[in-house]
Amino acid sequence: MATKPDAPPPQMPTDPATGRPLPPREQPGYYPGFSTLEQQNYWDAATRKLVLDRVARTLPIRFFTPEEVRTLAAVVNRILPQEDRAPARRIDILGVIDNRLFENRIDGYRYIDMPPDQEAYRIGIRAFEQMARTLFQRSFHELAIIDQERLIESIHDAKPMAAQEDWSKLNIERFWGLLVSDCCGAYYAHPWAWDEIGFGGPAYPRGYMRLEDGEAEPWEVEESRYGWNAPSDTLSDDERLHGSGQQHQTHHGTGGTH
Amino acid sequence: MSEENETPLLGAFGEPSKPLHYLGPMQQIQPPRRRFKETETVDYVIVGVGSAGGVLLQRLARAGFSVIGFDAGPFWDTERDWVSDEAGSHKLYWNDLRITGGQHPLALGENNSGRGVGGGSVHWAAFTPRFHPSDFEVYTRDGVGADWPLDYQDIEPYYELLEQEIPVAGPAYYPWGKPHGYPYAPHPMGGVGDVLIKGCTRLGIGVSAGGPVAILSASRGNRPHCIYRGFCIQACKVGAKASTLITHVPDALEHGAEIRDNSMVSRVSMRPDGRADGVFYFDQQGKEHFQRARAVIVSGYAIETPRLLLNSACPGHEHGLANSSGLLGKFLMAQAGNVILGRFDDLIRLYKAPPAHALTEEFYETDPKRDFARGFAIQTVGPLPIAFARQMMTAKGLWGWGMRRTMMDYNHYASIALLGEILPWEDNTVTLADGHEGRPEARDRFGLPVASVTFNLHDNDKKMIEFGKNKVMEVMWAAGATEVVQESRYAHLVGGARMSRTPDSGVVDKFGRSWDVPNLFVMDGSVMPTQGSANPGLTIQALAARTADYLISHGDAIFTSSRRDLEEPPCRKTLSPPGTFTAGVPHLR
Amino acid sequence: MALADKTPHEVALALPAPLRKPAEIVIDHIRHGTFQRSMSVLVMGTSLVSGLEVGYEHYRGSYSNPVMYTPVVLSGVLTIAGATSFMSRKMAKTFLRYIAWTTLIDGIIGFGFHIRGIARKPGGWRMPIVNVVMGPPLFAPLLFGTSAYLGVIASYLQREEDHGPRAQRLEAEAATGPADFRKEIATGQFQKHFCVVTAAATVCCGLEVWYSHYKDNFKYRVQWSPILVAPVLLAAAIGGFKSKRIADTLLPIASAAAIVNGLVGSYYHVRGILNRPGGRKKPVYNVLYGPPIFAPMLFAACGLFGMMAYFMRREKR
Repeated sequence: MATKPDAPPPQMPTDPATGRPLPPREQPGYYPGFSTLEQQNYWDAATRKLVLDRVARTLPIRFFTPEEVRTLAAVVNRILPQEDRAPARRIDILGVIDNRLFENRIDGYRYIDMPPDQEAYRIGIRAFEQMARTLFQRSFHELAIIDQERLIESIHDAKPMAAQEDWSKLNIERFWGLLVSDCCGAYYAHPWAWDEIGFGGPAYPRGYMRLEDGEAEPWEVEESRYGWNAPSDTLSDDERLHGSGQQHQTHHGTGGTH
Repeated sequence: MSEENETPLLGAFGEPSKPLHYLGPMQQIQPPRRRFKETETVDYVIVGVGSAGGVLLQRLARAGFSVIGFDAGPFWDTERDWVSDEAGSHKLYWNDLRITGGQHPLALGENNSGRGVGGGSVHWAAFTPRFHPSDFEVYTRDGVGADWPLDYQDIEPYYELLEQEIPVAGPAYYPWGKPHGYPYAPHPMGGVGDVLIKGCTRLGIGVSAGGPVAILSASRGNRPHCIYRGFCIQACKVGAKASTLITHVPDALEHGAEIRDNSMVSRVSMRPDGRADGVFYFDQQGKEHFQRARAVIVSGYAIETPRLLLNSACPGHEHGLANSSGLLGKFLMAQAGNVILGRFDDLIRLYKAPPAHALTEEFYETDPKRDFARGFAIQTVGPLPIAFARQMMTAKGLWGWGMRRTMMDYNHYASIALLGEILPWEDNTVTLADGHEGRPEARDRFGLPVASVTFNLHDNDKKMIEFGKNKVMEVMWAAGATEVVQESRYAHLVGGARMSRTPDSGVVDKFGRSWDVPNLFVMDGSVMPTQGSANPGLTIQALAARTADYLISHGDAIFTSSRRDLEEPPCRKTLSPPGTFTAGVPHLR
Repeated sequence: MALADKTPHEVALALPAPLRKPAEIVIDHIRHGTFQRSMSVLVMGTSLVSGLEVGYEHYRGSYSNPVMYTPVVLSGVLTIAGATSFMSRKMAKTFLRYIAWTTLIDGIIGFGFHIRGIARKPGGWRMPIVNVVMGPPLFAPLLFGTSAYLGVIASYLQREEDHGPRAQRLEAEAATGPADFRKEIATGQFQKHFCVVTAAATVCCGLEVWYSHYKDNFKYRVQWSPILVAPVLLAAAIGGFKSKRIADTLLPIASAAAIVNGLVGSYYHVRGILNRPGGRKKPVYNVLYGPPIFAPMLFAACGLFGMMAYFMRREKR
């Protein structure tokens, strides 16, 4: 398997018309200028405090070691890539995961075939690193993005390309669910992500009045779509059921619908 | 991006202004305080103030009993403690460790039991359909599952009563089960409801719009009506969605009940003569206390109830309290809750309107044309971004750029869920993670073994899920979706301490009185022998009100006598919270 | 303006021959206040419609306060009062008059309740637009008073059979004493009064239309049309109060536009209901929660008021 010698250039989404990389945006997504934070005066005080803290805080790393951070940061950057976001507008995911594990805020259960979340992360990180060392003789975070994605994809498919021994210590499909759930839980809790996807954000005391036909509230923004392609060599713009493809198990944190 | 924020008149909304305890924006009570000393013997101790516990507490207090409601979580102040935010509402769920296993392990935590006063009713989506008459005789009709020791007629007056007390909004004529109507008008539709109605009507499937849901469609007393913000399962700050915290608990306090919050009951204490005499509990600091009581009611949810009784094993009850049948913790049930997500070219904006606002029970009953017993309902759901992303992770196997891309289309998706009846099976269990007999070992911060849950689907369940899932997908396509995907999941845990006609076939009798200990009661979802494909919340509250009537009818005899009277009590309409019968529309009863 | 700058009689002459005579008669009766029976029928019709409307609107509000039954009951009684007044002069002077005043007062009390209802929503009057749109319809109780108001007017009118010498005698008597609104009504000389009423109804109705269509994000361009017509009708009504010339020119044109607009609106609202998810398979729900089926007729009623004002004679004062 070929590896590129040096740290890779960032993968950028491209313009489908020209094929050229799209410059990073302050706010990707189809709702230009939409800002939930601008509506904060219409929120109740408790919610406003919580959400503003979330935006302002820089979470210290207290659970992971510096080496683990390097690996996990590279993994997380591929699970939810943010190259299309201006550097100042990227959303901290790693800090949120670290904070959760440090404070032992769990989802209320553990699968019988899984170690506690903290241990699962340690095993997973070690295994990612081990895969990189075995296959490419270098650290995971030093790999070309395509190679990182290959390794990650093998975990998505529950068929690790190496480090079988490490991976045998947990249920890979559940680990994948845990990891992606945590990343999504951090990213889509952020007001900038709400702006990106056109979600209205907190809604009390002011609720909604235009309930049907996808009509925008007066303070929301109409959708205006643009074309973008994922970086041409990425493996993650793909829709394929993960693991065995059997969906009979629910995953960590897949909750909260009814 | 402009710095100027839009502002309501008189500036941003601020902190709540009064030094009172807020239960919704208009309902305020004096900050709750302790009333009973530990040395005092109270009449009833209720373990868990949730859907059932809240109703029992209110009824018993009104009838003049001294009663304490214990809850492991806090007594919420809705204005100060709750937020209009998905990630910030994590604290509403039972997040203490549980172990989950089996062939189809259940995701526990946020999808199921609550923590804090109000319990699960704080974060339910608040669909409140009744069970059908057939639900009470599943075994007789279909030869599967179990029969209930009571009939639909026994619970019907309580359905009617609780629908008034909550009150439930829905159509004036609801055709399924035993036809009936609702005291509050249906809700307007959101985008997801429109999709369900469009799909169903195009396929000729009957569908109910705007209810039945325990959400106010018009204000009542000091509760405002719904503002259609879609944060139902993040707890309703508006106070429009009913939870026992705002419907029954204030009235209970008014009548002398005490809520002892942040108090984790660790075991039920037994006297040598075979009667319970109180509960041991840990306060927030981890200090153990004992509260004396003449009778104990356990309302701790389908997992914590069996766990508490198992943890209360003592001489004479070596396999757990009230477990002479050996059935404690068995026949645990969850409903199949597959979520079907459809993408539409037009915008939906599924985050608006309550997640629960339209449903069909057209497939509820056993249909001989299908190859499985019992059936399912189809209901709207409204996942907020995080839940939606996690569903997409499973439904489409997404990560990376694919996840980002699909999430940018969040507003183009509608989500409809299956709610399918999984039958009670003996191998679906709650046990203790105590390390004995090959069980895993895990303990909570008080050193108590946590619950270990095992769940397996059986053939009938799998067939039902397959058929139901495809039916919902068909509806989604019929509504005009251009892409339809689905995620498998489960919701609504019940069973585990089932009620029965005879002592050897269940844990409690039809009023929740344990077969083994005459002054120990179980009243919550765990007493259900079968679960139908209706959301269990209303039925749990109705059963609790009925048991309260039973206890009140028997007065002090409960505390002294072991005689077991199985006569149905009269349905008392004098114990409802104030304002119950002054509002509402004429409807079919 | 040349065409419009004509008296109602001249306009009637422009009608096709078969209609000329009836139009003349109608106008003549209006101008002399001798249309109590017709007005009673109108009261009957409008209060039946507004009773249905308030009945289902308060059903949406779940009759959460028993006071919400009063307008439903009263509009039923008013309908009966209208019917009896068609048959009996005495009933018009007594039954109809009392009931109409009671209903009018009920409408004003209802307005108070609706203001309170909005105040009690989360955020209350600090977010007026959201809460007016999603709260109890603010102006509906006043508009509900429309049929009551017509009932009050009807109760002071003369009957059709009084037309002629008897009406002339009354008018001569009225001219001697001090001016009084009752006499003015009885003699059909209350154009200014009716202009004020037209203006008030137009303001309420216009605002109601505006926020209802705003709620719908003005999804169809035609939703702007009542918003455009309303100010014109308002200006015409105010102008009609001040100047006879405007009452003779702009007022009938603006009123006709409002009536036409209301009829067109009714068509669109019915179509809107049928186009809702489930369409005619969910008729009750879709009438309840679709575009309000009677609302455009209410707007047309504002036009009808303006048109009647145009036909009337002006007060002498």
